[in-house]
Amino acid sequence: MSIASNTAKASLLTTEHLRWCTDGNVILDDINFAVNQGSFTGILGPNGAGKSSLLRCLYRFVKPEQGVVCFEYQDIWQLDANDYAKNVAVVLQEAPSHFNLTVYDVVALGLIPHKGLFSRANKTDDEKIAQAISQVGLTHKVQQSFEHLSGGEKQRALIARAIVQSPKLLLMDEPTSHLDVRYQIQIMELVKSLGITVIASFHDLNLASAMCDNLLVLNQGKLVAEGTPQQVITTTMLSDVFGVCAHVDQHPQHNVPHISYYYGYIQDNVNLGNEHA
Amino acid sequence: MPNSQVKQQGVATSKIQSNLGVEAANAMMSKTFRYFIITIVTLVIGLLSFFCALSFGAAEISFSDVWQSFFANEGKDLGFIYRIIWELRMPRAILAFLAGCGLAISGLILQTVTRNPLADPYLFGISSGASLGVVILITFTGSVLTGVAPVAAFIGSLLAMVMLMLIAGRRQSQQVESMLLAGVALSFLFSSITNLLLYHTDPQAVTAVLFWTLGSFSRAQWDNLLFPTVVISACITIMLAYRRQLNAMLLGDESATTLGINVNRFRIIMLLLSSLITATLVSMCGGIGFVGLMIPHIVRFFISQGSMYGILLTALVGGIFMIWVDILSRIILQNQELPVGVITAATGSIFFLTLLYFRKNRPN
Repeated sequence: MSIASNTAKASLLTTEHLRWCTDGNVILDDINFAVNQGSFTGILGPNGAGKSSLLRCLYRFVKPEQGVVCFEYQDIWQLDANDYAKNVAVVLQEAPSHFNLTVYDVVALGLIPHKGLFSRANKTDDEKIAQAISQVGLTHKVQQSFEHLSGGEKQRALIARAIVQSPKLLLMDEPTSHLDVRYQIQIMELVKSLGITVIASFHDLNLASAMCDNLLVLNQGKLVAEGTPQQVITTTMLSDVFGVCAHVDQHPQHNVPHISYYYGYIQDNVNLGNEHA
Repeated sequence: MPNSQVKQQGVATSKIQSNLGVEAANAMMSKTFRYFIITIVTLVIGLLSFFCALSFGAAEISFSDVWQSFFANEGKDLGFIYRIIWELRMPRAILAFLAGCGLAISGLILQTVTRNPLADPYLFGISSGASLGVVILITFTGSVLTGVAPVAAFIGSLLAMVMLMLIAGRRQSQQVESMLLAGVALSFLFSSITNLLLYHTDPQAVTAVLFWTLGSFSRAQWDNLLFPTVVISACITIMLAYRRQLNAMLLGDESATTLGINVNRFRIIMLLLSSLITATLVSMCGGIGFVGLMIPHIVRFFISQGSMYGILLTALVGGIFMIWVDILSRIILQNQELPVGVITAATGSIFFLTLLYFRKNRPN
């Protein structure tokens, strides 16, 4: 399905009037946005705002009740699942346990959309996997069991899998949660260095402000703010959406907003939406 | 920093990166080579096990006689030894090998698509469904094994699988958990129906069913080996073709979906394969437990499940294990054969506990 609006034509991914419900609850309602090629877009919002649900709609795991998600001007549900996977890679937080998959095995999964059923990995594929593993700095762990890696290393291995997938768009669901600050910065810089379009959800607003070109703010399933970090990260937004009092100034080194929180001023009357979204 | 210095640094970094890529490629090559060697060694052990299976038994046959029987002029040079080897022991060893391969592969499939290391055909009610099918046949026809026994077993296991899928529902997020719970419930349900049928049938049929449910390879004949050979070979080939998709399932349904896999359809295909293998083997050898659970764990302890070798070795180790179980069942008691199911459970549980002990004490 082609997009009628002119703004959509310059974009890699767009959503129009996206609505998704489950068990009678509206989780996402009338979501409209466009993501330009090469940009880094962050999705922000309190717990239950619909961040993960929105990403699920974008990576074709759940079908929206109304509206469309378009990739390169085509409804993603009109595309073949395998063709979509050739263009869109996803890094989630799920990890296998009790199954002895090596780092190599996990990274090699990125070949799935590109290989036929009986085809074996050729020399080019092996080089691609080896390069991806070295790019994320896991060369010394290539034969190690994935389940024995640390949280940051697992995240890097999954990013290497995404690199092997050779996508135009990378979707990430809270890529830095459970990671210490060093790994947070390392993972984000690694993702930025790939030079591809990225959409990621964040809980750390300062990290999102520093890394993203554009931000989308969700609250109770609705898109309540959209724009650059300078436009979006404001004391009013933090108060209205997150129910916190904060001071916003400029980062001492980078030209991005930096948030300092005031403690003891949590607003109890802010409706934080459905926890199960 | 001057431009030339920046350029030099850039070149140095890309060189390091490329060297690291070569290092990773070399590590991968050495791993593949190691797996290849392990497979070859296992194949050799498999051949030796076959030799032992042909030699050991009530009538002792030397290895040299076994070797000569491969080149002997039918019956003329070795007499009855030739007949024991080729008419009794060889089909029996092949059936044992096939049963081990099939049950191990069936367990591997179920453990992978449900991401549950304790999954095996018994846990999902597939074996109980197959048993029920055969018991209904025995109860109503009075014969232990006829040409339709595999069909009855397959219908039984298919019934179990259809019920499993219906109870598990279409909701992907809860499918695996529902399947496991429904599988346990169905397993008990089918067992109770089987017992009810046995309670109301004649004692002769009960004895036949009891012996059959404990497992045996004594019905092995050249004529009935073709079907399980075709089924198990075809299933292993399909698994090899889908090995990457199987690995992707281990990372979770959502992750597998993002790689372009239709998770629901794939899981059903794999469950059908597992049912087919289980039904075929249950109808021929009776109920043999523990192999589907244990063998994938043993192989996973030594090599990654993700490689092609992981699947091949699971099948091979399962086959070798079952050959030795059959040998033990024939030689432990003089002039008497122990049920195979008893030996698999006894040896398997001891070996499994030992393995768990070593795993617990193994450094990461």
